[in-house]
Amino acid sequence: MKEYTLLAVASALVTALVDRLLGTRVLARKEFWVFLAVMYGFECLFNGYLTWRPIVLYNERYFLNIRLWTIPVEDFVYGFTLVGLPVIFWEYFKRKEKPS
Amino acid sequence: MRAEYLLVLGAILIFPLLLSFDRKLGLYRHAPSLAKAILVVSIPFWIWDVVVTARGHWSFNDRYVLGVAIFGMPLEEWLFFIVISFVAIFTWESIQYLLREKK
Repeated sequence: MKEYTLLAVASALVTALVDRLLGTRVLARKEFWVFLAVMYGFECLFNGYLTWRPIVLYNERYFLNIRLWTIPVEDFVYGFTLVGLPVIFWEYFKRKEKPS
Repeated sequence: MRAEYLLVLGAILIFPLLLSFDRKLGLYRHAPSLAKAILVVSIPFWIWDVVVTARGHWSFNDRYVLGVAIFGMPLEEWLFFIVISFVAIFTWESIQYLLREKK
């Protein structure tokens, strides 16, 4: 297994775990998947640009080298963590604001 | 152009940043939570990125970064996680707002 592939998948699992442990249950909400679809749209645009130019270069030793357009598939798994975690922690800290 | 990565970050950030001051959305009312969430998420991503950049998972094209590096990683890449975390939270709040309005 390639390192980046493994790390991306592991990070997605950690994200699901954090959502459970904090009790935020963001991933259980329908809106999250709408949100993720929108963010994937932005990712295609901006990460597409970064990888097409290329501004960021990937080492074939560490990823599968399967790309959607110019974007490594791992980036979509990584992207899930990248946009999922901020939302989970945002919901967590916001909930803590209100004295219960 | 060496500012290109920075400009891409600017393009990602500009509209969410401007619209975040919209009163109906009111993100600024939760500024401390916003800052905490961005920081808590950026720290592990920074560590991950410094380690794997050093390992060679990916590299940055010298032609498109300013050339300021911290722990071997371009300044732009450090900013990337702050920008994306902010844009993610902004988008999340916007979608919830729009879905509420529709009902």
